[in-house]
This record gives sequence, C-alpha cells and structure tokens, in this order.
Amino acid sequence: MSNTTLPPAESRPRTLVTGVVLGSIASVMFFAGLFAVYFSMRADAKAWGSEWFPEGAIQLVPGGMNMATLSLSVITMAWAVRSVSNNDRIHTYLALGLTALLGVAVINQTVFYLNDIGLPVDYSKASTLLFTIVGAHMAMIAIGVIWNLLVLLRAFGGQDTKRHQDLVSALSFYWYAGVAVYSIIWIGIYIAK
Amino acid sequence: MTTTDIAPDSVAVTSEQNQTFVERLVTNTGNLSIGKSWIFSGCIYFLFSTVLGFLLDIVRFDSDSYLIFSNVDKFFQFWSLHRTSIVLLAVVPMIIGLAMCIVPLQIGANSIIFPRAAAFGFWIWFLGSGITVVGFLADGGFGTPESGSQREAVALTLLGFLLVIAGICMSVICLLTTIISGRCMGMSLRRVPLFSWTMLIAGTLWILTLPVLAANSVLAYVDLRGRSAIYFGSEDLIWDQISWAFSHPQIYVFVLPLIGIAYDIVPVAAKVRQRNHDLVLVLSSLFGIVGFGAYAQPFFDTPGTPVREEALYVVTAFLAVPIALFLLVGLLDTLKMGARNLTKHPPAPMILSLLSLLLLISGTIVGALRAIEPFELLSRSSTSAQMKLTIAAGLVAIIAAMLWWGERIIGKSAKQGFGLISGVLITAGAVLSGLTDSVNGFLGLDDFTTTDFLQKVSSEQVVKILIPFSFIGSILIFAGAAVFLFTELMRLKNGSISEVDPWNGHTLEWTEETVVVRSERPLLDEVEKAGD
Repeated sequence: MSNTTLPPAESRPRTLVTGVVLGSIASVMFFAGLFAVYFSMRADAKAWGSEWFPEGAIQLVPGGMNMATLSLSVITMAWAVRSVSNNDRIHTYLALGLTALLGVAVINQTVFYLNDIGLPVDYSKASTLLFTIVGAHMAMIAIGVIWNLLVLLRAFGGQDTKRHQDLVSALSFYWYAGVAVYSIIWIGIYIAK
Repeated sequence: MTTTDIAPDSVAVTSEQNQTFVERLVTNTGNLSIGKSWIFSGCIYFLFSTVLGFLLDIVRFDSDSYLIFSNVDKFFQFWSLHRTSIVLLAVVPMIIGLAMCIVPLQIGANSIIFPRAAAFGFWIWFLGSGITVVGFLADGGFGTPESGSQREAVALTLLGFLLVIAGICMSVICLLTTIISGRCMGMSLRRVPLFSWTMLIAGTLWILTLPVLAANSVLAYVDLRGRSAIYFGSEDLIWDQISWAFSHPQIYVFVLPLIGIAYDIVPVAAKVRQRNHDLVLVLSSLFGIVGFGAYAQPFFDTPGTPVREEALYVVTAFLAVPIALFLLVGLLDTLKMGARNLTKHPPAPMILSLLSLLLLISGTIVGALRAIEPFELLSRSSTSAQMKLTIAAGLVAIIAAMLWWGERIIGKSAKQGFGLISGVLITAGAVLSGLTDSVNGFLGLDDFTTTDFLQKVSSEQVVKILIPFSFIGSILIFAGAAVFLFTELMRLKNGSISEVDPWNGHTLEWTEETVVVRSERPLLDEVEKAGD
C-alpha cells in the first residue's frame, strides 16, 4: 500500500482580524490626516517665529501619565491574548478587566486635563488642532473600552476560548493602533509642543 | 425522559412572511439586496447630480439667469454640491453596489463577509447622503465665498458628509475582507478576476484617503460648532480644504474599478484569454498609486510653492497618461486577437468599456496639461473638464457593467440598445463639455465661474462662444442619465427572465450560486437533509 501525502490545506487570513486590521488602518489614516495638518502648520508658525502654544500651556506630566497608562495597557492586552490562547479563563478576565480599567483611567485623565488646561478651543489654530486630535483619540479609546467590556462579557459566558480567540486578537490590534496613535500625540504635542 | 425539540424554522418563516416591504428592506443582509440598494440609490443621485450640472451650465450660458440661485453664495453651494454628489453619492456608491453583488461571486465566496456591517454601512451612507443634501438646501453646504450661509446648516452638511464617508469606509472594509479572506481555495490573489482585483486596489486606497477627508471635515466641524471659526471652519475656506478629493490625482482612485470592468468584459466578449494578465495587475495597481491624492491639500503648501506645483503632483499627472494608454493598448490587443470571434454587432458592454477607457485617457491628458505651470490652469475650468471626463469614464463603465452583469444582479434582461444609447450620450456630453472647458481654461475661465466674469466677457469673445457647447454637453449627460435610469426601470418591470450564462462567460460569477440563508439553524438542516 502506498502512502499518499496530501498537500497542506490552504489557509486564509482570519476574517475578523482582517476586518479589524483594515478598520484600524482607516482610523490611523484619520489621525495621520490630522497630524499632517498639525505638523505642517506648526512648522510654518515656527518658521515665521509666531507663537504656537502659549508658554507653559502644555504640561508634560499629564501626557506622560497617559502614555505610561497606555503602555501598561499594551502589556495587559498582550496578557489577555496569551491567556485566551492558553484557555486560561481567570487570567483572561483579569487581563481584559485591567485593560478596560486602564482605558477608563486614560479617558479620565484626558478629560481632567482638557478642562484644566485653560486654553479655549477657539484660542488659536493650535488649540483647535489640539482639542480635535486629543478628543478624537479619546473617542477611539472609548470605543476600545466598550469593545473590551463586551469581550469580557463574552468571556464570562465562556465564548472566548482557544478555538474562538479571534475577537480578542482583533481587539488587541485595534488597541495597539490606539496606543501607537497616542505615542505620536505624546511625542509630537506634549514633548515637542 | 423524552425531550421534544421544535424546529424554529416555522417560526422564522412565519415572521418573515409577516414583514412589510420596508422591514424586509431594512433587515435584509443578502449581498445582492444590499448591492441593489447601493446601485439604485446611486442612480437616483446620478440623475440628481446631472440636473444640478444642467442648472449650473444654464447660468454660464446666460449669466443673467444666475437669479435661479438668487445670489453668488447659493450658486457656489449648488456648484460644490454637484461635485460632491456626483462622486460620493453617485459614482462611488454604484461601484460599491456592483462590487457587493459581483465580487463575492467572482471569487467563489457565498456572500459578503460581515453582511450586517455591510448593510449598516449602506444605511449610514444613505442617512448621511440625505443629511448632506438637506444641509445644502438649508443654506449650508461647504461654506460660501461671501460668507452668506447658515452656520448651523454648514455644520449639518459636514455631519452628513462624515456619515457618507463612514458608510463608504465600512462597506469597503467588508468588501476587502471578502476578497482577502473569503476567496475559494486555489484562487490566489494573482488569479482574482480583474474587477475584484481593481476593487481590492481601489478599496485599499479609499480607506487610506477617505479618512483623511474625514479628518479635514472634523477639523472644520470642531472649529465651526458653537463659536466663530478661527480658520478651519471659516466659510470661505472649507471647500479649499476638501476640494482635493474631487480633482487630480484623487479623482482617478474613485474610478479605478472601471479598468477591471473593461478587462473583465472585453476578453469574454472577444472569446480570448487576456494576454499579459500580470502586467495588467501591475498597471492597474500603478494607476491607483498615482491617484493617491491625500497630500494635495493647501495645508501642505510650502511658502512660495503650492503643493499643486510640486514635483510629485506634476510627475503623477504625467505618469497617469502612459499608464492609461498602456491599459488601452492591452485591451485593443485582446480585441485584435479575438476579432474573428466578434459578430457584426459587438456587445454593447464591450463598446462602452472601450469608450470609458478612452474617456479616462482624455481625462489624464487634461490632467497633465493642467499640471504644466506656465499654462496656469490649476484654478481654471480645465479642473472641471478633467473631472467631467474622468467621472464620465466611471459612469460609462458602470453602465457597461450593469448591461453585462445586470442579468446576474437583477435576474432579468435589459434592452442593450437603450443602455448603449445612454452610454454614448454620456460620452458625447462629457467630450463636448470637457473639450469646451479645457479650451476655456486656456482662455482664462475660472473653475468656479463668478457671474462678474461672465458679464465682463463680450459676446464676440471665444469664451462666450464656447460656453453653449458645454451647456449642450450637460444636456446630453442629463439625457444619458435619464435613459440609463429608464433602461433599468424597464428591466425591473418588463425584463424577460435571463439565461444562466448569457455571455458564455463560464467564469465563477455565472456559475456560483448565491446562498440565501433563511433558516435559523442552517447547518443542522443540512445534516438532517443528508440523513433523509
């Protein structure tokens, strides 16, 4: 009897992950459009020697705290992905819950800072851009938090397992995209001012 | 203990029968149904846009009649609505509709992936399109040159515009996911039919550029809402910030799938295999890359050199011409190979496919001329000419596609002759109008023509003599749109039931069955059927 080796089955990218990656790309392009306008106008203002933000208006500490919080959330999100692939439900609950909590913390800090900044939206082009970019990013994180909580609910119902881990993987892509966007906000707006 | 399980089928079927037409329409997630909704809505906006174009040309024809719009601000609002609606409410939706119906069949997928998201995308777009039009009619729009619009209505227009973009992006993501992840086994991306391939490229570029357009609109909205605008929301600047999406090079990206339509139709009509398939894949992708236009915004002007005079802008304008020419040569080569297979009366979709590529080439040539700095054509009526020619290319290709695949989409045959007439009318109108606007561009006619300019021009001057030709062109385009809508309505009402494969295509879209899942437990039903 001869042994016949069948060719390996062709694999296609997972649909949910593909869709979310494409959606995340669209979100990143939205921010890319805003950043391009921001950096272009900032460069023009600096070239002409005009004021961009008033001296001392942008504090490094709140931005830095947000960056640190989001960096921690990257670790907890990776922990969630790992836990699901190991069928470790307790760690999945913990990791998803912590990620959502860190997201809420970021929203809380951002809202506090935008209220505290003392710079109205219509103060200058720079302030309009600042509020638009930071506000849009807050909305992105808020969507991520809601999604995170929904995935957590599914996990409680036993629906996020090694066999059905796509939802967590897809969420992680979106979350990482949100953190990547924030890192540019942190460097471009909070540090470079 | 015996457990009796009642199959929920009877419940599902009864509830479906009780649904009204509107309930069925809103809750339907079948790709054919969603696709038809896109196409039908796009057709309505197509007719609406051509009526607007016709009214705008009346003003240029007879400058005293600008009182139709009561003042220059209103005239500007309708002018910008015409541009926006023909692209984002007519051409792009109709292409998405065609893709919703045909792409899953071409690649061997049973349906669109994420059908609910696809339906949601359509309804978001539909709502947004309504809000956008209402915003314009309520004295809003994308600002006005003399700041005479209602600020709240401008904000409403921007909100509607954002919904339009969101709906398009969501539907395109579903389409792209279907192409990437839903292809049947054995079909590599290289073997994907060319319409699906160009949808993959165009869709990718749409989700790379439309969010940038959304970013521009959000900036204007934030600046405008509830206070006096600083800069982005200033009424005389909003259109400047978003107009890049409706001119070179971005305009090419919106009509890119026309290449795929032409290359899917012509080889089957000529009954020969397409030579150099890989080259066509590369060229169509290159054409898409050349069309990436999110950088061509006034924000990125460097002092002394507007971005539209920079090397990248000029080079892409010139690159588009040879790429489009090579694509036409490829198609003509296929026709030459299959010349003996063609009958005395070649199929209407094939003729229209060739016309659409010719229009695209004329559009790229006008685009290249526009980019030559000494001609100073960037803000002249050549912009309008390029847009008309390019968009008409897309529209003619859509008509060709509806004549070709319409039987698969609607299930009934259309009068090919009427379809051909509508395509030819649009082509003739676009050529007449485009040629006139191109020449007038050289003579100094602005893209947005104020009545002051027209009143200064004496009736003997060439500009004034040529303007009636543009007006006739608009009438022809309007007539073409009306005939197309009539053809499709006649198909729906009186069309005969179509053959399974009317073109002898033998490609997947003609053989693949569209699966409509009605049961709430389809897999169990299959198992039971197999057991019987």
